[in-house]
Amino acid sequence: MTTFSFAQDTPWKCAACDQPLIPRKMSITYLKSEFHVELMACPQCNMTLVEEDLAVGKMFEVEQLLEDK
Amino acid sequence: MDQKQLREFESHCIQEEHPYCTAACPIHVDVRGFMAFMAKGKLKDARKILDRSMPFPEILGRICDHPCEQACIRNQLDESLNIHGLEFHCVSNTSQVLKLPKLPGKGGKVLVFGSGLTAMTAALDLARKGRQSTIISSASELGGSILEIDDTILPLESRETAVQMLERYDVTITLNQKITPERITELTNDCDAVLFDLDTISLDILPADRIEADPISLHIGGKNFAGGGSLTGENFSPIKQVADGRRAALSIERFLQNASLTAQRTGEGATTTRLYTSLEGVAVLPQKTQKEQHLSPEEATEEAGRCIQCECMECVKQCQFLQAYKEYPKTLVRKIFNNESIVQGTRQANTMINSCSLCNQCTVICPNDFPVAEVCRTAREQLVQAKHMPPSAHEFALEDMAFSLSDTCSLLKHQPGTDSSQYLYFPGCQLSGSSPETVIRSYQFLCDHLDGNVGIMLSCCGIPAHWAGQPTQFEQVLTAFTDAVNSMGMPTVITACSSCLSIFKEFTDDISVTSLWEVLDSLENLPASTAELPSTMAVFDPCTAREQKLVRQSVRNLCSKIGIEIDEFPFNAELADCCGYGGLMQFANQNLGERTAKAKGERSPHPGLAYCAMCRDNLVSTGKPIAHLLDFLFPDPDVNSLLERPNPGFSGRHENRARLKQKISESLFQETDFTTAPHSAIELLIEPQVIELMNRRHILEEDVRKVIHHVNQNRSYFINPENNRRLAKYRPIRVTYWVEYSEEDSGYRIHNCYSHRMVLPEDQP
Ligand code: SF4
Ligand code: SF4
Ligand SMILES: [Zn+2]
Repeated sequence: MTTFSFAQDTPWKCAACDQPLIPRKMSITYLKSEFHVELMACPQCNMTLVEEDLAVGKMFEVEQLLEDK
Repeated sequence: MDQKQLREFESHCIQEEHPYCTAACPIHVDVRGFMAFMAKGKLKDARKILDRSMPFPEILGRICDHPCEQACIRNQLDESLNIHGLEFHCVSNTSQVLKLPKLPGKGGKVLVFGSGLTAMTAALDLARKGRQSTIISSASELGGSILEIDDTILPLESRETAVQMLERYDVTITLNQKITPERITELTNDCDAVLFDLDTISLDILPADRIEADPISLHIGGKNFAGGGSLTGENFSPIKQVADGRRAALSIERFLQNASLTAQRTGEGATTTRLYTSLEGVAVLPQKTQKEQHLSPEEATEEAGRCIQCECMECVKQCQFLQAYKEYPKTLVRKIFNNESIVQGTRQANTMINSCSLCNQCTVICPNDFPVAEVCRTAREQLVQAKHMPPSAHEFALEDMAFSLSDTCSLLKHQPGTDSSQYLYFPGCQLSGSSPETVIRSYQFLCDHLDGNVGIMLSCCGIPAHWAGQPTQFEQVLTAFTDAVNSMGMPTVITACSSCLSIFKEFTDDISVTSLWEVLDSLENLPASTAELPSTMAVFDPCTAREQKLVRQSVRNLCSKIGIEIDEFPFNAELADCCGYGGLMQFANQNLGERTAKAKGERSPHPGLAYCAMCRDNLVSTGKPIAHLLDFLFPDPDVNSLLERPNPGFSGRHENRARLKQKISESLFQETDFTTAPHSAIELLIEPQVIELMNRRHILEEDVRKVIHHVNQNRSYFINPENNRRLAKYRPIRVTYWVEYSEEDSGYRIHNCYSHRMVLPEDQP
């Protein structure tokens, strides 16, 4: 299964763990579909970062597509 | 929707009917298409159109007696198109472009007696269909009556080309034959069908047992057919002869296939048409050249340019939705039908189905009342039922409705100090959200001036659920409403919103409903308004008042009572546009919603006056100066420019509704017991452009507060050490909200917000 990487350098750090973020492979879901992606996340607590570009860009497109399936 | 319903819907739309010229043409030449090419000087393309329907363009293009011209709609305006002159011009300057195929031979021997246009046409048509066709004639050349036409009009080459065409399709031409009844019997013995061309064959040699020709099939008994015909005493008409030839060929084809000779043939030959074409705005432009005169290329282009390209499109001309999707209702309903039939794959029409404002403007405009709104709304119900409705289309609007119905906003009370109600004021969720102060002031006015006690109900009529295709939710809201009115002793409901009025009138029984406007109009003393009035204003009727004639009249009466001069403009009243809210259009298709609001505002150059809160707010958002009628009747002393009061946006509406309930409860009913959510104390500092962004992204301040509240306890946010900003997320139910903010002394400053519906691993349920 292909993994799409959206991981890129970011100034954001996890406040609770005081850690810089690292790329992490994970699966995200919507309406019974599952996608394997790589996003930036906290190495300690695993909290995932989704930046604006991704949320209103690619992610939104895919959501719309799945909604019409 | 099943096939039958689809056909039934389709038949309402006449956009695909023949234009007047084509309907009147016995062989239905696409004159409109022909004219479009001719107007561009594209003679070859125009010729292709003639080649497609005329058997012998070289001949017919020159000598047709053009019944189409009489039918041309321009006759109602100035003069018909010179269709004949243009066809003449085209065939004189081109040679055949389109060569129709010859189907593989399939047996069936047909004898055609005679040499006129009927014989030639039938022989050609049958040969093209793969029948073995033979012309037998006593003449020495083909043509019959047309041989008498002057060479300057019909030169020899035209007839020669026709003969070559017949030969190319393998028609056998046997000339100079002696034709007697005996010979006919002998020749037709071993053939399958016979046609007599009455242009050149006299009736007395036809088979003795013949019957009167059937006008639809031209059948004269047995395997014999007869048509065409100056010998029967008819005036010579080239197009009639060609049409008869074609009709006879079709009959013979049916005969050879053992099919009915007469079923379903109403479309053949000259017909009437159901098309409607408006001549409004079409300039008067008579023909420049004499009909008889040959046209120069320039004259031809100019004359063809007079064709108005007849079509209906009346609804599309007004509707932003149909324009955006480049559909007219007939094509729209087909797409919806196909969308419903998809089992696996992308339902490409979903957004289209959810973008209609369900406003019925098209239906009122349409000469056949095409019910686009009903088709789209039913399609939504079907999507919901099949669990294919895209969640993002209506969720936000339905949550907004749920909020209006919730304890935070809803209220049901008798007039303060009383325990019965003759009236029940129902201002509606959108007025409460847009201008809570005018709700309070108008309520007080009603209490003071109506004979009888006036109760109040803050709620929503449920129209968002109806529009969203959610019958169960809609039903619930209506039942709750009916129960509430019942519990108040069945008072007369006074609505301030046309949508509520339309819903209650259509979907409740036994409840008496009227509009605030009719009530105010019936009162002696109107509130003394102190507001300054523009000299002329345009009353923008909401689309939901389309069937509320009395409401529209009362609004105008009120305007004249308070001294507002009204500019009446077209496409208002029963033809009014939607403001973009109708059918939840603006939620399913934001851009289209905005365009629709703008188009509505542009209908009049004057400052606007609305009596629907949603119209008011949507139009003001497009920059249109517009007030709500209640703003004038009950002006807010704190608002100085009534025409520019900003749209409160979605968060503002929520807050207004909640505050309205609190305010009424406290000031009128001395109730102070309000529970507030823990996050509601969070102070937000938001710049207008961020507010605007939040509105576009359907993110409420409430959502932002929830995010901050959620992450504050355990610092579960991201931080940017460069500027100390935080980025936090929270997924209350179906949407993950992200907020970028920083902490300041007086509260949280919001820099950015966005959301997504995809679920991250840590948010998996
Ligand atoms: S205006 Fe053009 S399309 Fe309309 S009837 Fe006349 S020729 Fe036909
Ligand atoms: S108004 Fe619209 S729906 Fe009605 S016939 Fe014309 S194109 Fe079709
Ligand atoms: Zn962490």
